[in-house]
Amino acid sequence: MTSQLFKEKKRIGLVCPYGWDTPGGVQAHIADLAEYLISQGHYVSVLAPTLGEENLPDYLVSAGKPISIPYNGAVARILFGPIAFARVRQWISQGDFDVLHLHEPAIPSIALLACVAAEGPMVGTFHASAKRQKAIFAIGPILEPVIEKLTARIAVSEAARSTLTEHLETDAVVVPNGIYAKRLASGKENPLWTGNTLGFIGRFEEPRKGLALIIEALPKIIREFADIRVLVAGPGDSSAFRETIPQELRNRFEFLGRISESQKADFLHSISLYIAPNNGGESFGIILAEALAGGAAVVASDIPAFDSLLGGGEYGTLFESENADSLATKVVGLLKDSDERNAIRIRGSAHAQNFDWDQVAERIYDVYEMSMVGLGKVTLASDNRSWNRFLGK
Amino acid sequence: MKSSIFLVILAVLIFAWYLSFLATRLDRLHHRVETSWANLDALLQRRAAIAVEIARSEISDPASSLLLTFAAHQAREASIKDRSQAESSLSGALGILLEISESVDEVIAKELLDELRTLNEKITVAIALHVESVTRTQLIRSKPVIRIFRLAGRAPLPVIHEFEAAIDGQAN
Repeated sequence: MTSQLFKEKKRIGLVCPYGWDTPGGVQAHIADLAEYLISQGHYVSVLAPTLGEENLPDYLVSAGKPISIPYNGAVARILFGPIAFARVRQWISQGDFDVLHLHEPAIPSIALLACVAAEGPMVGTFHASAKRQKAIFAIGPILEPVIEKLTARIAVSEAARSTLTEHLETDAVVVPNGIYAKRLASGKENPLWTGNTLGFIGRFEEPRKGLALIIEALPKIIREFADIRVLVAGPGDSSAFRETIPQELRNRFEFLGRISESQKADFLHSISLYIAPNNGGESFGIILAEALAGGAAVVASDIPAFDSLLGGGEYGTLFESENADSLATKVVGLLKDSDERNAIRIRGSAHAQNFDWDQVAERIYDVYEMSMVGLGKVTLASDNRSWNRFLGK
Repeated sequence: MKSSIFLVILAVLIFAWYLSFLATRLDRLHHRVETSWANLDALLQRRAAIAVEIARSEISDPASSLLLTFAAHQAREASIKDRSQAESSLSGALGILLEISESVDEVIAKELLDELRTLNEKITVAIALHVESVTRTQLIRSKPVIRIFRLAGRAPLPVIHEFEAAIDGQAN
């Protein structure tokens, strides 16, 4: 079916607002999307700020060095200014694109500049949700005429969509983030990780990821299952974190550090339950989609992003957010009832196919197609102004 | 004296630039409303055509064939006024069909149904785009400056059709 849909080869320009060299969800999403579209035969060019010139993929065009700006506790690597603007304009006029796909056009970076500079079919994807974007969304009145130029808007989740309607008064089509479901489903059992094990992937030091809640719930679970273990994968200082765990529980935790993609597949395949105790700040929850695809039975807090991803409890079990008792009850219940666990695991991995790149890229391409109708190619906005035309530019 | 004249001229120029900026913005929106409607219209026509084809095939029983053909013809020939009603009833008829035909294994029938499904997805997106451009235009046109200076000219105020709201609600 895909071959039929992608029959027309297009020239697609993607703009990434954040520094390409720093790992992040948006960058990973754009890289996956670009590779997918290229594999379907389209011409793809990605414009992004980069620190160095080495080790960049062929499709990437550097817009210059990003500027680090301390932003809400983290450092955002973005890029703006007259030189960047000139670079963006040059990229647009040379690219001869059929459609531009701008990521996070509400962030003061090159995606916003591209939105100002270009005219024609443009699609914008909004990744962020939650309050932390409020400072930037507060300048709505200035952004409004710019964002309005987007032919179509995509939000990665219902949460991102409602942030958009609240702050910028525009609606969006919801298309989730993509995962490589087939790759994740091919995991093998690793005897080190089987048994009564609870899995957790993520930056465990961050309070919002909620690992502390598992620690709090653990004594109750131990009462029923004496051999329970918690496997934690993800970057961070594990020896320092170990100190914060009560003495008698320390030997229950195993820190695996950062794991590779194939290890991740094995990990998800081997553990009994995947626990996502996040207490907020999640817009989509890509890791949950990955856990489902990897064939893990999932227990997650009932924050809005997870609730919608798990279909209100259909594809994974939900517990009351920040309530250790509720988490312990659900975990014990599922560990006892292996039939129910298997049933939910099967429903979950079937549901995860909806997030596979095959499906997601197709839906994104549908949006491209709908916005390309009747608008011609992407041009520079300044070329179309009557006084410039009058001056014979 | 001289400087105040200069200031007045400057203010007039800035205001004129602002008006032309607003007019461009509005023009872009009007243009988009038209293209997004044309696109949606074309997709709906295609859906009606597929509906007729399905009605003629083995997939549907005689009763639903009759219903489908009727709804499809109505949707194709309806004037703008009755369009909403016609498209809603076609959506309903096709929705029922898609639900009961999960177990179809004939090749041609499967292809038809698959085409219908992809078309439905596209229609959902097209409707979202059209609704968005219409509400945006309505919002901008309600601005006092635009009404006082008649920047919209004689372009009719775009409206959202009833069936669009219904499908949009279902999809979410």
